[in-house]
Amino acid sequence: MNKNMIFKGRIWLFDDAVDTDQILPGYAMAYPQDELKKYAMAGSAMPDFSQKVQVGDIIVAGNNFGCGSSREQAPVSLKSAGVSLIIAPTFARIFRRNAINIGLAVMQADLTTLVKTGDIITVDLKSGSVELPDGNVVSGHVPGENILAILAAGGLINKVRQQLTKQEV
Amino acid sequence: MNEIEEYLAAAAGQPEVQVGEDITIRVDLAMAHDVTAPLALTAFAEIGIDRVFDKRKVAFVADHVYPAPTVQARQGQRQMRNFANTYGIKMFEGEGVCHQVVAENYSLPRGSVVVGADSHTCTAGAYGALAIGVGSTEFAAAMATGTLDIEVPPVYEVVLDGILVPGVYAKDIILHLIGAFGTAGFTDKAVIFTGEWVRTASLEERMTISNMTIEMGAMLSYFSIKNDVGSVAKVHKFDVSMIVPLMAAPSSPANVQPVANLAGQTVTQVIIGSCTNGRINDMREAAAVFSHASINPNVNCIILPASQLVAQAMEDEGLTKIFRRAGATIANAGCGPCFGGHLGLAASDDVVISTTNRNFPGRMGSKESRVYLASPRTAAEAAVAGKIVTPGTVAELGGRTDE
Repeated sequence: MNKNMIFKGRIWLFDDAVDTDQILPGYAMAYPQDELKKYAMAGSAMPDFSQKVQVGDIIVAGNNFGCGSSREQAPVSLKSAGVSLIIAPTFARIFRRNAINIGLAVMQADLTTLVKTGDIITVDLKSGSVELPDGNVVSGHVPGENILAILAAGGLINKVRQQLTKQEV
Repeated sequence: MNEIEEYLAAAAGQPEVQVGEDITIRVDLAMAHDVTAPLALTAFAEIGIDRVFDKRKVAFVADHVYPAPTVQARQGQRQMRNFANTYGIKMFEGEGVCHQVVAENYSLPRGSVVVGADSHTCTAGAYGALAIGVGSTEFAAAMATGTLDIEVPPVYEVVLDGILVPGVYAKDIILHLIGAFGTAGFTDKAVIFTGEWVRTASLEERMTISNMTIEMGAMLSYFSIKNDVGSVAKVHKFDVSMIVPLMAAPSSPANVQPVANLAGQTVTQVIIGSCTNGRINDMREAAAVFSHASINPNVNCIILPASQLVAQAMEDEGLTKIFRRAGATIANAGCGPCFGGHLGLAASDDVVISTTNRNFPGRMGSKESRVYLASPRTAAEAAVAGKIVTPGTVAELGGRTDE
């Protein structure tokens, strides 16, 4: 997680309603955590995603990304495969929270008609601005302060650790 | 404030709450299962605390991959057992699906906060718990702190009036609602169920509906026993007597169609049970069909009781014998093939009728397999006919196991 919350990366474009069975199929859930990245998007329209994705890449998808299961293995697989940010108009609640809790940034914006796979975009999460390949800038939803705080801490666990330490003092 | 907001305010220890407000609520039960707990244990270790917030209020359940189909899965369960023993936590192994196990083993008064590392935790809304599904990290945090940070959701009231016609069940009601609202209809929102039908519905029926509210994206599902639940964002009214037998066709729980429109479709596998429809009344409905006719030789039929208590009740009532005689396979109480784990995965050319809660592509096995979600009655009739038929085709409606 970069402190400035600025992301520059190559896009992978996905459809509406990419559910958690597509992101990380049920059979892979009990696999060791360090192997999950091999199964990122294994159930999706792009089953070989994990071999193509590079560190820093950005997923742009349609509505209701991450609907379905509460499996945190889904965002973990994406993060460990190298995905730095996911942008979709809407997210399923549990997936969105899981991503943030493990320090994987998500932003609400509809870019599906503005970009294609392979495009490079620059996103400033704190201002919600997205610079498209043609230089145009569009706005997304700025995450709330508590969300930015979890991301800045590098995930919920670090935040909880800080909280508990404070209580003991 | 409405009923949900009153309970949230009480759980947050403040006089009132506003929609959109960030609040911290106390947790009355934190539950995780054998595919979410192992990740949570890693997160818990990272927090670096040497106790859980209240050992009586944390529960582990081995249900998703029990008995373990792989060494890895068993390793996860051993990790959970060791942790449970170290911290004095209750762990249920093989006793059933976590949502049913929680309902059977914990007394949770209305307004109790249940945090579960499973999306179908919302099932507990059937008996008035505020039950919120979370991921492993949030579960680990709840286990350490005894609290959960949430944003107060807008509350929508769904009024269910009327009486169901024969052949139509709680499953058809929730499929009807998912079809009407879509898979994101209540994302980040809470749903409160009221109405004439709700007041007469059994706990089992309410659990079937509450279980699948996550299929509309809901954060909370709550069944009220009040006539007036207070001020809500919007009220949606339904007359359940207008609902016909329904199915969610491949590959979304919101792709809902009348069974009559799908009749004739060949079926190769039938799954009856799970946390959605694996309780004793569901089993009685299926047995009412199987006591009259055997399962089609081209169909694999797997019975998946929601818990050991259900399995025992099946035995006591003679249903087990009816299922076996009809040619069904009775699996252990647990999640089995519902999430594509084990015990009956679908091949590429399988057409599955399942009483479970999801039919996303590849959910139960091969990405090419086709899964239809239906009530136990509709599923059992398909198992006998070898194809989709409207309830009442194979055996008369309204009758119970007749011996």
